[in-house]
Amino acid sequence: MKKQVDILIIGSGAAAASLSQRLLEKDPNRSILVLEAGIKVPMKDYKLYQDYLVTGTYPYQFCEDLNYPSIFGNGENVPVGGNQLQLSGGRAMMFGGSTAHWGGWSFRLKPEDFQLYTNTQIEGTIDWPISYDDLEPYYGQAEDYIGVSGDSTDQVPPRTTKYPFCEFPYTLEDQGTIEAFEKLGLDYAHMPIARHGISDTDSPHAPCKTTGTCKYCPFGARYFAGNFLDEMLKYGSFPNFEILQGAIVDRITMSSRSKATGAVYHDKFTTDSHTVEAETVIVAAGSIEAAKLMQRSVTPEWPEGVGNQKNNNLVGKNLVSHPFVYWEATLPENPQRLQPEMDFPTFISRHFDSKEQQPFGKFLTVRLNSFSDQFNMTTNNQVSTLTKAMQTGLNREEIDAVTTGPLNVQLITQVEVFTKTSNYVSNTAPNVINHLGMQETNVHYVPDSGFENRLDQIQTLLNPVFNEMGATNFRKASDSIRADHAACVTRMSDTPETGVVDKDLKVFDTDNLYVLSNGSFSSLGAINPTITLTALSLRLGDHLNSK
Amino acid sequence: MEHRKYNRKAYHAADPADVAVSQAIFNDMWELFVQIGKFWGKTEVVEDLRTDLLVFMNNRIAMDPSYLYDYKNASEVIKELIYEMGEEKGYESLFTDKSILDDPPTTLKARARQKVSNEFIVLYLSLGGFKDYGAENSLGYIGGANIKGKTPYRTIDK
Ligand SMILES: Cc1cc2nc3c(=O)[nH]c(=O)nc-3n(C[C@H](O)[C@H](O)[C@H](O)COP(=O)(O)OP(=O)(O)OC[C@H]3O[C@@H](n4cnc5c(N)ncnc54)[C@H](O)[C@@H]3O)c2cc1C
Ligand code: SF4
Repeated sequence: MKKQVDILIIGSGAAAASLSQRLLEKDPNRSILVLEAGIKVPMKDYKLYQDYLVTGTYPYQFCEDLNYPSIFGNGENVPVGGNQLQLSGGRAMMFGGSTAHWGGWSFRLKPEDFQLYTNTQIEGTIDWPISYDDLEPYYGQAEDYIGVSGDSTDQVPPRTTKYPFCEFPYTLEDQGTIEAFEKLGLDYAHMPIARHGISDTDSPHAPCKTTGTCKYCPFGARYFAGNFLDEMLKYGSFPNFEILQGAIVDRITMSSRSKATGAVYHDKFTTDSHTVEAETVIVAAGSIEAAKLMQRSVTPEWPEGVGNQKNNNLVGKNLVSHPFVYWEATLPENPQRLQPEMDFPTFISRHFDSKEQQPFGKFLTVRLNSFSDQFNMTTNNQVSTLTKAMQTGLNREEIDAVTTGPLNVQLITQVEVFTKTSNYVSNTAPNVINHLGMQETNVHYVPDSGFENRLDQIQTLLNPVFNEMGATNFRKASDSIRADHAACVTRMSDTPETGVVDKDLKVFDTDNLYVLSNGSFSSLGAINPTITLTALSLRLGDHLNSK
Repeated sequence: MEHRKYNRKAYHAADPADVAVSQAIFNDMWELFVQIGKFWGKTEVVEDLRTDLLVFMNNRIAMDPSYLYDYKNASEVIKELIYEMGEEKGYESLFTDKSILDDPPTTLKARARQKVSNEFIVLYLSLGGFKDYGAENSLGYIGGANIKGKTPYRTIDK
């Protein structure tokens, strides 16, 4: 039997959750169907929380991509252009999507980000068809919806509303970095972070209690779309709002070049195929899957897949994400016994995320947890130095020596890279299915030839910071690029010559097909994308509500 | 069919009624927990934490019933070590023997260390044991909300 709905949303992540919230606020009776390929993993479960605490394994790990195949074992997906951009760990395919494992860093883009091409003239890049001012009111609403704790006096970038919750103060660990930044005249700020705080109004969301196990928050204090969707289903009084799990959408259906009629999906458990008819179709399947789904949706009017214009086939192209670069240096001693007391950073700097740096690849700087020089535990926030020391059998005196001895301090930088049509994602052959039952992905990502040079420049810019801190042996600990912030593969533009969707996120040449994902960003900037995605989602909600 | 037993949410097939920890084993595990505090802490482990330990053990067993056997094994390993070396040295051997960190554990002593004692260390720290080493908050510790003037961790202003 065919299902008929007003709005079909494909995917159940932050994009889907915030959009359906906005639509249902206006009309609680609206019929909305969300099709989610993944399944529900229990959240706020104390057993699972304690298991994560002791083992560091989070219960939704199976919803992530496996590593690429290698000599060490079977894997999935195909790194077509070398092994550069990792999918594994970069998204979660489950009820609620990738905010299950996000950090909650909640930055807005800066005004100059919306004019990348104008400011840099870099070939292959474009300007956004909207400006910062167009999005500013929605940024405020997105921060309210997500529940961001931040410093409302911080006007970089400019803001007209307050954060819903106050900022988390700088930790004692931040002190050395702050002093160094001040001496060098570099700007810094509080981290705007998606953690609920104490509120005067009734809220179903518990405040953050600083337990520091955020990849599996026992209280639901960090925004996770799945928790919000659950609450909508439970308490929302939305009689025509439905979410199907294990529903893998195979293709979007079209009755003409301009009209989407719905989608065909199959039940991952029974493999039965079903058709849904909808007035409006929203693809909110995350950047990569959204592009792949559109490529798969071949119709007589869209022979290369819906959204792919004859002359350029842009769907899936222009893949970017953020290279994460870890910088470390060693302090000779640690008399204050500095150690991670929080699981999320409180100090950030957007000094080099600036218009001046834009042509070279602007970057965000964040101070991460420090760790004892004795243990090689760079990026593992889950296990503290103390835990490691006790578990490996050091006695009290030895631990005293470790906790006051040499300390590795680290900064992470997230660098903007520029779109190129030669970097893309696409579907593997239809019968190549990943461990979750979804078609696998070809990933072609080759960094710019100048990227290594850019890393050297960044090292030169950060060197004085570590010097001022009195840290030695300044080094690049690692750099990698993963799909966490994969974007631009269905990018928004003024024209179908350079983009896939228009300024309302509507696929060019269609009347009722929208793509709501980071893929629709025109460029990525240097910051984490989800607040911008949510702002776009609420804006799309208003657009659809006004129809 | 909702009422059918086979629809019950489950992490494993064991019946919860069959996998309860006995009072004697729990007492031994509580003693192990107290000894962790004695060996590493500077303040004594308070009785109030008994419930936390019991909840933790039951949660581990609920996830994987083999923990029932690991707790029993730990109790037996500790008894043997104490018989051989006396209480202080027995526990010290369990806590510090570097030869039993093989992954996965291959002896019963290594299992007692890794599946029980080392997990209890995480619990011990998350219940406040870290405070003896200078911090005000730590991973797993429910420090409290971000209230102005009452920040639950060390800040630059304190
Ligand atoms: C480790 C990590 C840390 C991150 N930290 C931050 C951060 O600190 N700040 C920030 O701003 N961003 C962060 N991100 C990015 C953030 O998670 C994403 O921007 C956000 O989750 C995207 O939301 P979405 O709704 O577009 O997609 P998703 O949340 O990925 O949801 C898409 C959903 O669609 C489903 N789907 C896909 N294909 C189909 C199909 N064919 N049929 C049906 N369903 C389908 C998927 O299963 C998935 O559940 C992080 C990401 C990762 C991986
Ligand atoms: S620190 Fe806050 S968000 Fe993180 S797990 Fe604890 S309560 Fe949840």
